Amino acid sequence: MKGSRKKNHPQSALRRTLRNIAVVVGVFLLYAYGVQVTNIDLRAPLDPVRQDTLLDRLRRFGRPDLLTYETETQSLNLSLRSPCPEELRQGQISGFGRSLSLTPNCTTTTQDMLTLAGEGFPPNARGIIRWHPPGDTAVARQVSSFRAGSDGRFSVNFTMPDVRVADEPQRIEVEEILGQDMAGLSNASRVTVNRIIETILMALMASTLGTIIAVPVSFIAARNLMARSGATLAGLMTALAFLPIGGWLGRQLGLALTSGAEQLSAQPMVGVGGLLAAVALFWFVGRLYVATQIADAASKKRSVASIWQPVSLAALALLALALFGQLGLPFGAWLRDSLGWFGFFGGLIVTLADIARIMLPGILMFIGALIAISLGSRYGEEINFNVTGTTARLITGAITAVGVGFTVYGFGLFLNWLYQFENLANWTTYPALIIGGATGLLATLVEPRREMPAGLAIYYLMRGTLNTLRSIEPLVLGFVFVVWVGIGPFAGMLALMVHSIADLGKLFSEQVENIAEGPLEAVTATGANRVQTIVFAVIPQIIPPFIAFSFYRWDINVRMSTLIGFVGGGGIGLVLQQNINLLLYRQASVMIIAIAITVAILDYVSSELRNRLI
Amino acid sequence: MLQIKNLTKIYDDGTVALKDVSFEVADGELLTIIGLSGSGKSTLLRCINRLIEPTSGEIWWNGVKVSHVSGEELRRVRRKIGMIFQHFNLVDRSSVLTNVLSGRLGYVNPIASILGRFPKEDVERAYANLRRVGIPDKANNRADELSGGQRQRVGIARALMQEPDLMLADEPVASLDPALAHSIMRYLQQINRDDGITVMCSLHFLDLVQQYGTRAIALNEGRLVYDGLPSGIDDERFKEIYGQEAERIG
Repeated sequence: MKGSRKKNHPQSALRRTLRNIAVVVGVFLLYAYGVQVTNIDLRAPLDPVRQDTLLDRLRRFGRPDLLTYETETQSLNLSLRSPCPEELRQGQISGFGRSLSLTPNCTTTTQDMLTLAGEGFPPNARGIIRWHPPGDTAVARQVSSFRAGSDGRFSVNFTMPDVRVADEPQRIEVEEILGQDMAGLSNASRVTVNRIIETILMALMASTLGTIIAVPVSFIAARNLMARSGATLAGLMTALAFLPIGGWLGRQLGLALTSGAEQLSAQPMVGVGGLLAAVALFWFVGRLYVATQIADAASKKRSVASIWQPVSLAALALLALALFGQLGLPFGAWLRDSLGWFGFFGGLIVTLADIARIMLPGILMFIGALIAISLGSRYGEEINFNVTGTTARLITGAITAVGVGFTVYGFGLFLNWLYQFENLANWTTYPALIIGGATGLLATLVEPRREMPAGLAIYYLMRGTLNTLRSIEPLVLGFVFVVWVGIGPFAGMLALMVHSIADLGKLFSEQVENIAEGPLEAVTATGANRVQTIVFAVIPQIIPPFIAFSFYRWDINVRMSTLIGFVGGGGIGLVLQQNINLLLYRQASVMIIAIAITVAILDYVSSELRNRLI
Repeated sequence: MLQIKNLTKIYDDGTVALKDVSFEVADGELLTIIGLSGSGKSTLLRCINRLIEPTSGEIWWNGVKVSHVSGEELRRVRRKIGMIFQHFNLVDRSSVLTNVLSGRLGYVNPIASILGRFPKEDVERAYANLRRVGIPDKANNRADELSGGQRQRVGIARALMQEPDLMLADEPVASLDPALAHSIMRYLQQINRDDGITVMCSLHFLDLVQQYGTRAIALNEGRLVYDGLPSGIDDERFKEIYGQEAERIG
């Protein structure tokens, strides 16, 4: 060993040197190309014209338009001719005990220097010199300003920013500021306050909704929870085959409920009575359910009550939801009109009713699909308990063919919705038959009792989806939602919400993966079911970090919403972008300051909260 | 009566934790299990309540083929088998009472329990069990406020809530000092003698085995190498179990 190492030594030293040289050359080339690509050019920032422009903008940013002033002024007007006549003259005017002279009182080019001299002003008086270009609609432009000395005299030189040739004389207004009082917040400040509130609330809504959805998502994206569950191929595929049936049944039920509730609510009294009765019955049966279940806890047998009670509870809840969806609309609208200042409360009820009505078929479709999956996997698994050998293989193969066929057909329908094919069967029926049949045949080769890592597959699918969503910047999501729901804070909220779900889903699932396994093991050992285990052993461990991350997300969302506004997502970003585009830098400056203050405060609050919770 | 027949466990990474282990435990025994770390003691105990899935072999308990039940039936088996752990495995952020009550989860209505509602008699039972292990005043403390010995007593109270017929103890005293170790072992002995609960307890120290065990088995690299009375483990047997270089320290 030792000998051979010695022999290799010189060669490896040479190799190491060569490798180091290669690394140095490689790094050099990389940075050389980087400098070229990024167009590093120090002449650009040193260009005097650019520097002047930059200074001008910075000066305006440095004087944010925070407050308005009530000013008392008086003006004297001189006339100005353009172009200059052959003989240059001096213009003079007197009034209010002041006298002014303009030399010359004409201009031909923007290089012509004009001198304005005044006397008889109060000591240190100041004011603005404005030019009124010819034409009624032309806006006056400030050309200079003045400040009198202690003797009440001043003299300023200025050039005209522009020359407008005209027959009639143009006006040079000398406005003296007599007194100035602070009148309150400027228009820009008031807009900023409103928009900052909108931004904070938009971020709050996005973080809250994002958190609510991210919590169940994170359980599915946690490896330690998902790796435990597996199912046989037959169970999995039965679940897959049942899924569309359950979803369809759920959707039909939802549609029927909605239209039934609509008919009931045609007579408001009947609708309200039905809603109240449903809620009251729900409360009553719910109490009964908990009470009887506790009393029956010791007995093993499932009583009749344990079936009809939860079923009727679910039915009552759905009925109440459907009725609320119908009745909430007129009720909320009435509240909005009659509550005055608190009308937004009625608006909330309208929105909630809207959500209930529009989402009910969707929610039921989802629930139906879930029930179908759980029933499907249970009955599919039971096949393996009852049959063995070739029969089991054949049944597994057949079920797999159906399950995969359904899935392929569904995917074909999705593609058709997207692209509207001419011949639908080419994309749905035929591939479903071919792929389903092929996988069915392959499935007969699998040992029927073998556990497939279904949980792990769902885990990877969820993780992949979250990572993809997370890699799409909220700015891009903002573009998508602006197209979908129009310009405004709703689009921004949706964009931030989607990004929050992806981000929090990942952060939360990492917390779930980091929990102590011991308590989980101990609670499982008591005979608790999966949901009980999560409630008793997982949730106590993850609540503090979850709350902390939610606050942190709010902080992030406020910062991001300033950007979202640039693409039309509402909030302060929208007005900030408008002001920058209109070159109103003093107004933009107010908004940038407001964002900085808000972010600093939220950053402080969220880090304090996190310190206290973790 | 617990019967273990040809039990083998091979982990996914290829480690053979148990190799063809067979033995029986009669009702009312306090069976101690000894062996080096990694000899398969924890795996054996966890196979019995299926926290770990055996690779092959059978486990029979009171006529039920525990190794092959699933779902609802498995939970019904588990709720009659209590378990205590070396690191106590309490939920630190929950109260002692909640930790103890979680021992009833296999019995109560799932939805009521998720809403935090337990039957009155179960809450009374929880207080009674906390009294029994000598910490009735700690019910409303958070579990992580307790000392090591107190935490293991909460673990015992939680297991007692299951009204078990069999108690599995996975090195219950390995994280405790000798005085506390004896106090915990006395609780196990009391449970075994007074309540007639069969106890299977893995231990490190031979003097504890010989003081508390009614019978002892020993594992070495996943194989059963001794099955007999605790007093039968002499110096020669000891070297067989722990290897030739081992010295007795306790």
